[in-house]
Amino acid sequence: MTKTYEQINEKIRAKKAVVYTAEEVIDLVKKKGAEKAAEEVDVVTTGTFGAMCSSGAFLNLGHASPPIRMTDIRLNDVEAYGGLAAVDTYIGATALTSDPKGGYGGAHVIEDLIAGKKIHLHAWGPGTDCYVRKDIDTYITLDDINDAYLYNPRNAYQNYSIATNTSDRTYYTYMGKLLPRMKNATFSSAGQLSPLINDPHLETIGMGTKIFFGGGEGYVVWPGTQYKTNVEEVNGVPVGGARTLALIGDMKQMDAKYVRGLDITGYGISMAVGVGVPIPILNADIMRRCAISDEEIFAQLQDYSQPVDRPAMARYSYAQLRSGSIEYEGKKIRTSSMSSYYGAKKVAAELKDWIESKEFTLNQPVLEFPKERTLKGLKERK
Amino acid sequence: MEKKFKIEFTESNVQDSVVYILVAEFNLKPNILKAQIEGDGTGVMLVSIEGEEADMVKAVERLKGIGLLVNELSNHITRNHDKCFSCGACVSICPTNSFTYDPVTWEVHVNTDKCIACGACVNACSVRALSLIL
Repeated sequence: MTKTYEQINEKIRAKKAVVYTAEEVIDLVKKKGAEKAAEEVDVVTTGTFGAMCSSGAFLNLGHASPPIRMTDIRLNDVEAYGGLAAVDTYIGATALTSDPKGGYGGAHVIEDLIAGKKIHLHAWGPGTDCYVRKDIDTYITLDDINDAYLYNPRNAYQNYSIATNTSDRTYYTYMGKLLPRMKNATFSSAGQLSPLINDPHLETIGMGTKIFFGGGEGYVVWPGTQYKTNVEEVNGVPVGGARTLALIGDMKQMDAKYVRGLDITGYGISMAVGVGVPIPILNADIMRRCAISDEEIFAQLQDYSQPVDRPAMARYSYAQLRSGSIEYEGKKIRTSSMSSYYGAKKVAAELKDWIESKEFTLNQPVLEFPKERTLKGLKERK
Repeated sequence: MEKKFKIEFTESNVQDSVVYILVAEFNLKPNILKAQIEGDGTGVMLVSIEGEEADMVKAVERLKGIGLLVNELSNHITRNHDKCFSCGACVSICPTNSFTYDPVTWEVHVNTDKCIACGACVNACSVRALSLIL
């Protein structure tokens, strides 16, 4: 049995499409088998809501009168990039205020913009014959500015490691607070709900895939940075970070509930964004892969107190990780997540609702992403 | 029953034994969670007390009688629902399992009764949704 994107979209437009979340579909496939389930189900929705530093927003602030070519730009005192055209900028999620310990950064500016808050714009320029002005000090809102789109060079990591700390002191990492002597471990993937776990070889996800992004409609635009494929697989799914996605979406459609600035103690600022990717059930194989459950998805425990080379210490399933503790060499390690599974479920459910009731149709990718790619380190030369 | 109290000392009563009063006079079982004395003789003690409610009421009056400031701790750890996005970074940090995931929705729940006010969770929260009010 096979289906086409067009057949599925016709059903979506007729409000007759059968949509399950990646969680709900597990039992269905167990009960009916992938063949039968593939006949019944048209779309499976996925979701994830976790931290990703490689996030940011392009903004066009509009021209003031007289106009200024901004080269040094501050939004709520957070540095935004001044190397684009006169009033274009990119604000990166991890960018900081002039007081780097302020606990506020680019991700918070983005969240505040989406929440409709007033943002303090202070910018300076060289003053040129065509842009005479040298500084501007004003306030903007998302409604005021021409363009505001989130462009995250890397999102939706396909699996990730489990972090622990074997040392005698607390480590503050991007994987959260890690207590001494392996008292706890943190993980990040949404496992059975995660987009790239459910379509592990990107058969249906590519450039142009329409997605749920921060509460609005967004698109997959490119392979994410640090995309790689040469990671060992168990049950058809990589056991560590592998493929990633670059995503784009109009901030004016977004909801601050799904775009959150994070201040990770000892590390810095990051951004959590809700991402949901719909997977068209074109055949039984795709259906089978979407039915993967936390028992079948594995990740590797690594010691984040090691500054370099963190060999895999052990492997655990997401079912074990979600049980609240794992065991390593006879020692019980308490586990919790850095990404919100509660949020991931909400994303997948909301995307399901969009497809069922708002005629959110599926796009066939216009470009497939690499089947093979390895990652390069940074060579230092003299 | 078990209740948690914040007891504040001054120079005039810093040498009184709160624990002895609680045990010997009221048959209560105190468990000191945290105690600190400053250089000026003032100090704060966080104590969890187990025993009969009537005894506890009398004990609190007795402690107030010697000039100690006694306040029951409740909702000392607060979670801002608007900020919290239920990641769970706090869950594996807490030594008393005050934070739990809802087994169905995976929302993070907070059980203030279990909290011993250590404060370990506060800086583990990346959206700064937790505050310890003592």
